[in-house]
Amino acid sequence: MKTLTQLLALYVLTLSLFVGANASAATFTFTAIPDADESQLRTRFEQVALYLSKQLGVEVKYVPVKSYSAAVTAFRNNQVQLAWFGGLSGVQARRLVPGSRAIAQGYEDQFFKSYFIAHYSTGLALSKIFPDITDKTFTFGSKGSTSGRLMPQYYIEQHLKQKPQQAFKRVGFSGDHNRTIVQVQSGTYQVGAVNYKVWESALAAGKIDTNKVKVIWQSPTYPDYQWTIRADVEANFGAGFADKVQATLLNMNSPELLKSFPRSAFVKAKNKDFQPVEDVAKQIGLID
Amino acid sequence: MSQPKQLQQIPPLKNPQYALGYWQKVTLSIWLIALIVLPFADIEIVNFDPFLELTRMVEGLITPDFFATEYLWQAIMQTVNFAIIGVCLGLVLGAPLALIYQHPLISSCCAFLRAIHEIFWALLFLQVFGLSPLTGILAISVPFAATFARVFHDIINQSSDSPLESIDSRADMISRFTYGKIAQVMPQLMSYTRYRFECALRSSAVLGFIGMPTLGFYMETAFRQGNYSEGAALLMIFIALIGTIRYWCPPKLLGVYLVIACVTLIDIPDINSSLLVRFITHDILPPAIANAATLAEVQWSSLTAWFSDLLSEQAIPGAIATITLALLALAATHFISLSAHMMASKHLWPTPLTWLGRFTLLMGRSVPEYILAFIFLMLLGPSMLPAIIALAIHNGCVIAYLAVKQSNAIAPQEMQISRLNQFNYHIMPTIYPSMMALMFYRFEIIVRETAVFGILGIMTLGFYIDSNFSEIRYSNALMLITCTALLNVAIDIISRRLLKFEQTSQVSC
Repeated sequence: MKTLTQLLALYVLTLSLFVGANASAATFTFTAIPDADESQLRTRFEQVALYLSKQLGVEVKYVPVKSYSAAVTAFRNNQVQLAWFGGLSGVQARRLVPGSRAIAQGYEDQFFKSYFIAHYSTGLALSKIFPDITDKTFTFGSKGSTSGRLMPQYYIEQHLKQKPQQAFKRVGFSGDHNRTIVQVQSGTYQVGAVNYKVWESALAAGKIDTNKVKVIWQSPTYPDYQWTIRADVEANFGAGFADKVQATLLNMNSPELLKSFPRSAFVKAKNKDFQPVEDVAKQIGLID
Repeated sequence: MSQPKQLQQIPPLKNPQYALGYWQKVTLSIWLIALIVLPFADIEIVNFDPFLELTRMVEGLITPDFFATEYLWQAIMQTVNFAIIGVCLGLVLGAPLALIYQHPLISSCCAFLRAIHEIFWALLFLQVFGLSPLTGILAISVPFAATFARVFHDIINQSSDSPLESIDSRADMISRFTYGKIAQVMPQLMSYTRYRFECALRSSAVLGFIGMPTLGFYMETAFRQGNYSEGAALLMIFIALIGTIRYWCPPKLLGVYLVIACVTLIDIPDINSSLLVRFITHDILPPAIANAATLAEVQWSSLTAWFSDLLSEQAIPGAIATITLALLALAATHFISLSAHMMASKHLWPTPLTWLGRFTLLMGRSVPEYILAFIFLMLLGPSMLPAIIALAIHNGCVIAYLAVKQSNAIAPQEMQISRLNQFNYHIMPTIYPSMMALMFYRFEIIVRETAVFGILGIMTLGFYIDSNFSEIRYSNALMLITCTALLNVAIDIISRRLLKFEQTSQVSC
């Protein structure tokens, strides 16, 4: 009966694991969508958590996520109460969690833009008017990105009067702004759309060979990244907690902390600021 | 394959003509199908100058940075924890099912559960349990339970009945079954479980790609962001972890590891049952049903429009791409298995060289397909080709690894023929049937694995499922997952009908 005993032991052990699930105390948890530089992401955001914890007087925890949609899900499920979202993911999250509100955005996010970049072999150069990129191969960034997907797709549909799948020879989703740059630079795709902040920091870091890839068009400006908070934090952490969080974020001025985002400062934001993003998302059919 | 017996017996004829043997027909048809499919597949090579990025990759590979990853130790621990608990839970759920697997309802349910990739299970559980270890563990244990049920059932069925006759007929049923049946196949069950543990480690790492805190989490980030030194270090750790399983996880210690895994598992947040309710009663219902208050209010026209749009714009194109990719990958896998088997066979090479071959096989089967495809994407451009090559390398190496184990056990015939002839006319014909059987078993897995490439941007069903998850359209995603599973089940049934041979279910992953 040794086999049976072993089997039984396994049963008990495995089951006890689920019974032993512990209850968590009231911790204020936040997340941030992955962006730009993800190396040492956790270490850097734990500094932000430490800052928030000191200022707010509650325990603050940072949860790393892999994708825009995972951040939205965590926010929706109240696994995080505060999140640093992109324009589109913020709109998606606030639609799913009634009462939640945008409280702060980066200074740069008030007038964010996308760059269209092209491989040198296309012969395209920087122009004020929308470039003729029909029948080229094209890559977006992540599927849920505002600057790498939503806004570029909107402008493509506006100017080329076609869905990207019809307008281009091949459409890809590189998954990440840095990847977009690498793929266009190596000629894997001829044209790509990229977050202008990521382009500029990669340029400054010497990661871009401007003989191989250059900016050919920049989009009009639009609102992008923002902090969004759930409405029920008032009930769990005391009345006026959301405003306190807002003030704490606006007062964050240590360059060390701001570098994680990377933004020069945070300014106030409200849900209405992101109406243009929501309208665009509806127009291209990303949300119903 | 040639037929050695006939060659030996029949004196040379002028124009000897042999009818094609069964395995020759099967082999030829695999390649014929691949040739027919080829013109419809997108295998264009587009790349101008991949060398800048390739140089960086190679540089990264020769200068691995083992200290670049934060929380590295934790990531390794969680990778092992998910795998151990996942396999144990899979055993707990799957082993009893093996006893009633002959029931068509059970076996088709299991086939369905098996057909859904771990990544999709995780994406579904993510909505209910959030970023909790439970998501990762269940994503492993559900499909694993279904596989255990099938394989254990097959193993027990193939065991002989004769020990039963020697047991006292007054013994109770459980004792009779345990000592008469289970006892004789116990080594097989154990070795299969151990093999599945290796698979679970791989799955556990792959779940990191979508956010579980395992090695894959950091590996995917490192490669995507171009930190190749960090990526190379993580890859080496992962390969070492898989290559040394038998040293750090002998079966006797499994219980101990399970306890350690349970203790060191990161905290499981409270399970919120309202999330489950919301998921089932709202999220996964088509918009037309979810938005209607009563059944009477449901707008059937919008429901059918939703369904037909989804089918024509996503499910069908996705399914066609999936099948095309899988069929081409099958032929390529055949080629890689044969060559890789040759490379590591002791019948061809002196022992030190076979170690090299075995190491190559370890590399080929341990590196996640996602990473392989990622590298080939840089090299060959964004077509189906990187995925075909990645699938072929991975699956080919798995098959070759198992085939080498078998073929090395064969004693060479004492004849005055060269090593090459010995290999071609004795070893290969002996193991070819089981190698082919393995390959058809892997076909089911190839179809599942195409999902991973969807996340990389190759337009298989996985691509559309991933898109729907990122657009928070769970009802669409679930529909497509169901389509994927049904496609898998259908392929399984068809391939079994066409190939009337006993599938050796000893090995699968």
